Formats: sequence, structure tokens, C-alpha cells
Amino acid sequence: MIFIFFLVLPSSLSAAAEKGLSVKGVRYFSYAAFTRVVFEIDAAAPYVLTKTSDSQALVLTAYDGPLTIKSSLPEIRDSVVKGIEARGDAASQQILIRLHPGAGDAKDFVLRAPDRIVLDITRSSAVPGPALPLAGKQFVIVLDPGHGGKDPGIVTGQGQEKSIALEMAQSIKKLLQKSRDLKVVLTRDRDIALTLDERAVSANQAGAVVFVSIHSAEGTGSRVFMQDPDDTLASQEQNPVSRDFLGFETGSEQQERLWGRQQAAHGRESGDLGRTLSRQLNRNDSAEPVQAPMALLTSVDAAAVLIEAGMEENRTRTAEAVAKGIELYVRSGR
Amino acid sequence: MSDRVDRRIAGNGFTMAVIVMVVILAGIAGVFFWRQGNGPGAGTVTGPGMAVPLQRPDEPLTVTQYLPENGILAPGTGSVKRQPEIQAQAREVLAGLFTGQQAAPPILKDALVRGFFLDPEGTAYVDLAAVSEGGMRASAMEELLAVYAVVNTLMENFEEIKQVRFLLDGREAQALAGHIDLSRSFARRLDLVRQ
Repeated sequence: MIFIFFLVLPSSLSAAAEKGLSVKGVRYFSYAAFTRVVFEIDAAAPYVLTKTSDSQALVLTAYDGPLTIKSSLPEIRDSVVKGIEARGDAASQQILIRLHPGAGDAKDFVLRAPDRIVLDITRSSAVPGPALPLAGKQFVIVLDPGHGGKDPGIVTGQGQEKSIALEMAQSIKKLLQKSRDLKVVLTRDRDIALTLDERAVSANQAGAVVFVSIHSAEGTGSRVFMQDPDDTLASQEQNPVSRDFLGFETGSEQQERLWGRQQAAHGRESGDLGRTLSRQLNRNDSAEPVQAPMALLTSVDAAAVLIEAGMEENRTRTAEAVAKGIELYVRSGR
Repeated sequence: MSDRVDRRIAGNGFTMAVIVMVVILAGIAGVFFWRQGNGPGAGTVTGPGMAVPLQRPDEPLTVTQYLPENGILAPGTGSVKRQPEIQAQAREVLAGLFTGQQAAPPILKDALVRGFFLDPEGTAYVDLAAVSEGGMRASAMEELLAVYAVVNTLMENFEEIKQVRFLLDGREAQALAGHIDLSRSFARRLDLVRQ
């Protein structure tokens, strides 16, 4: 038994202790990148989701009390899930979700009104995980020069932010490429406009281990921003639009639901990267990144930060500090 | 003829003097009673739980404001025109932030307030627009501080506001100037405030 999730919902805890978990229906949805299985339940209650020791199946059980299955289970056959079945007797029933070898990580969460347990199982080949490359392979570093095209960013006597960011990204790339095990990718290498989502897609498709978005601001001093670790999932829960359609609406909306949650899995890594960069840029061993709800970072599936370098700072030194910070982070074995 | 004219002038002067005296006395008495009943500060309400006062509509309302200053939000007070109900009052407070007051510049250049709406659950919707066609231009830190200047100021002054959401040109938007995620609700954040 390997992992994982144990969820307690206080509002229904006492009722759950008496009743266990009652599954009144199961739906599933197959997508290019993942398979979603939705368990419709009578009332939210604690449950346990584990992976079998051979990693070939996931097992859903009630945490406290019996698991009751009130309807027949659907026949699931796609490239991630082999099938779904009930096992055990009435007193200790379990739901077994058999996986194909190509199945990747599983993420589960609960939605209310109506109450559902949602299980997303990624297709490992379609969604590169955040794991570091194996020995002999390259670490992919994605540098994202901010703004571009019609969007110049801020404009001061020192120039346009979009040009300064591009110039700085190219300088950092040159410095990093001296290391053979680092592959550096720019989201843009010329003056073009990119949406925030296009930048995140670019990083995710490249299999980034590190993502650094480069911006600048008036004056001196540099700041490093990271996604507020509590923010990504909290914002999803707060969003009434996304709360009710999951598992019941169109595929595109469900894809959107997964989009924007990627950074939630990288809070600690992004904190480490942000701290390292912040200390290099500010030459201060106690400097910390600023935690903020960053529109771009939320969808990046890697350690990700946004740096904002003062336009009056020495750009060569800034580029060197960023390159050194990235190398330090990567070499620290994270 | 001339005697009659002189008497008439003398009579008018006396009447005028009496009227002036009465007006002055009435004015003094008015000021006296006004100070007793509504002395300076009596109608000024600041801080949490501000109910929009209905008395003395001409007197400015003092509110707590959080304004960006050297990379952090600085708490202070400002005066805004008193309004009869909460939504109009919040609009007035927001206008003060976005147009700047006295020595304080606007919290975000190139931005103006299109509208404000407070729903029954306490979610405040702040609808912003760019002044120019090129959109808003701000660094990430400026954008972050502007967002929380609005959130902190609204939630400090209006206890009815439980959370704040931002719209751009009447619609949900990804960000104001390309950095801060606006697809979420915001609550007060005090770690950005100078202690």
C-alpha cells in the first residue's frame, strides 16, 4: 500500500461515523491527458484512497464505517483505466480501479452540493511529471521574457520592459548553457505577444523543471514572486462557477478545471527556487520571495517564480545572479 | 421736501441696523446650538463597522485608506464626500484611491473605476477600466499593492464587505496589468501593510 489521500469533512463527520460512505453512482470521462472518475455519494464523508503495492490499481474505501455501493459500476476501458469493480463483502466493500501501465499520478478532491469524490488519473506519457531528470539527461529550464508585441510592459527612460526582459533572458540563457546538463528554452526569442496560458503551455510541454518569468520595474532593487501556496486550491474552491459543473458538464469545462491547478503540486519547490533567487539577487541571506496570486504561475507544472528586476540595476550582474540562483537550485538536488 | 427725505433716510437706517443685529444674533445662536449637538468629529466615523451616516450630508467622511508607499501599503486617513447609501459611499472611497488625494498619487496609473456592486452575500465587485487603449501599465509589485489597497480599504471601512472580486470592463479578467490573478476572490491581507 503506498499512498495517500484521507479526507475529513467536519460538517458531515458525525453522520459519516454512523453511515460510512454511500456511493450512489459512478461516471467517468476520458480525455487526452487524463481520465476522470466521479463517485456520486449520498453525503461527503471520510475516505481512503490507496494504491496497491504493485501500483496496478487504486482502492477506494470508507474511512469509518462500511462502503455501500447503490448502483452498478460502469465499464471503463480507456488507455489509463482498465476497469472498475467492487470487491469484498457487504461489511467491508471496496472499489478497485484497475490501471494500465501508462497510468500516471492520481489526484482526488471532493465537491459539494451534490457531493462527489472526483478522481483524476493522468496518462503518464501525455503529462510529464515534475520529477527531476534521470542521470545523464538534461534539466529543462524555461525562461519567460515578460510582455512582448503590442504589450510593452512599463516604459521608462531606461527603455521598454519587454525589450529589457528579452535581453536579460538571452543573457541568462547564455550563462546557463555553459552547463551541458541544462537545456534552456525561451518562451519567446523575439518581440511577439504571448498570452499567459501560452507561456505556461510552452513550459509544460517542454517538461520544465524550472520556470522563471522575467520582468522589470522602475528603480533599483529586485523582487521574486512565487505563487501563494494556499492560493491555488483555495481559489478553486471559492469559484462558484467551477464548483458545480464538474463531472456533469462539457469536456472543455472539465479540462479548464484541471488547468490552473498545476502549481499547487510545486509549492515547496517554488519556495526553494524563490528563496535561492531572492538571496542571489539581493545579496541577502535572509531575503524571501513575495507570495502572491500570480496569474501566470498558477498553471505552470514546475518550480516557478516571477522575478522583477530594477531597471536601474546593473543588468549583467542581475543576469549572473539569476543564472547562479537557478544553478544552485538545480544542483541542490531538488 | 428735504426735511422729509432726511427723516425717511434716518428711519431706514435704524430698521437696517435692527435687522443686521437680529441676523448676527441668530447666526451666533445657530453656531452655538450646532456645536453642542454636532460638534466637530461627532459625525466622523472611521474604522471597522462604519455605517454610512445620514446626518450632515455636506460634511466629508473620514475613511481609512491603504496606499502604496515604498513597496508596502501605508495605512492613513482620507476624506471623501458623504453618500446616502453604502454602494455610493464605496464608489466614492474607490474614486479617492484611483484619482489620488492631496499628496498621494493614484494607486494605479491608467485605471479608473467603472462601477461597484455589493451582493447580498457580501461580495463586492469592483469594475475597473483602463484610461487609455493601451491598457494598464504596472509592475507586478505595483499591481499587487493596488489590488490589496482596494481590498484592504474596502474591508476596513465597510463591515458588510466579506470579500472582493475584480472585473475589467465589466467582465471577469485574468489580470489587470498581466501579473496578479483576478479570477479569485480577495480577502484582507495585512502582511503587505506597514506595521
